[in-house]
Amino acid sequence: MTTNKNEKFNVVTEMDERACTVFLSGEMDLSVAPEFRLVMEPLVGEAEQDLIINMKDLKYIDSTGIGILLSILKARHGMNASFTVEEVPPQIQKLFEMTGIAKFFVPQENSQ
Amino acid sequence: MNADTQKVVLNLPATAEFVDVVRLNLYGIASKMGFSYEDIEDMKVAVSEACNNSVLYAYGQEGGHVEVTFEVGEETLSIIVEDEGESFESVKDMGQNNTLHDKDLHDVQIGGLGFYLMQALMDNVSIENSAGQGTRVILSKNLALSEETV
Repeated sequence: MTTNKNEKFNVVTEMDERACTVFLSGEMDLSVAPEFRLVMEPLVGEAEQDLIINMKDLKYIDSTGIGILLSILKARHGMNASFTVEEVPPQIQKLFEMTGIAKFFVPQENSQ
Repeated sequence: MNADTQKVVLNLPATAEFVDVVRLNLYGIASKMGFSYEDIEDMKVAVSEACNNSVLYAYGQEGGHVEVTFEVGEETLSIIVEDEGESFESVKDMGQNNTLHDKDLHDVQIGGLGFYLMQALMDNVSIENSAGQGTRVILSKNLALSEETV
């Protein structure tokens, strides 16, 4: 019964004083979009903290997921707060580049 | 469709919870045919987008069904996603460039990316729809013989 467990969408959030890192795993598709939006909503509003999504264990994302990332980008941009993605798997990076969302995920300069 | 084509047909509830079942079946069929890992990943995205459209636009809140037919040819896999709901509005915008490449963040619209992905990831995409008659999306990919298989 363990074979498909890693496909199931899961979100783990880690916070310290500077940043909030959200670790995604499994398949991010239409069926889990409401759950993902719900988890992200309060985190997106925290302007003082950097928001990072780690995609190391994300197996799949569809246009619904990319749409949610886009709305987070817009919200964070509007608040002048940072939002980055890290450890993006190649097949997901390919979709980011195809759709054009990749250019909004350029590495942020250090604000020191 | 020639005589050598074999068919696998799935009939599923048009809900988001069953789109992963289509992906699992696609994986099985495409790997059996010898498609590469990358091609299978591409097809997974494209086919899911077609199913998403049926789930989102075709049926509203009513419980309809989506029929997915895999046509296994010698060198081509065609996946037909068919529903009987109202056709989705976005079809008429298909010819437009819906990507974000030339846009600023405050100009971008969410939506339209699914169609773009279907076209970008498959070798051939055709969409047939008429008002009240449902929508039929045909996605095809050819086997590239030189690539490493799964």
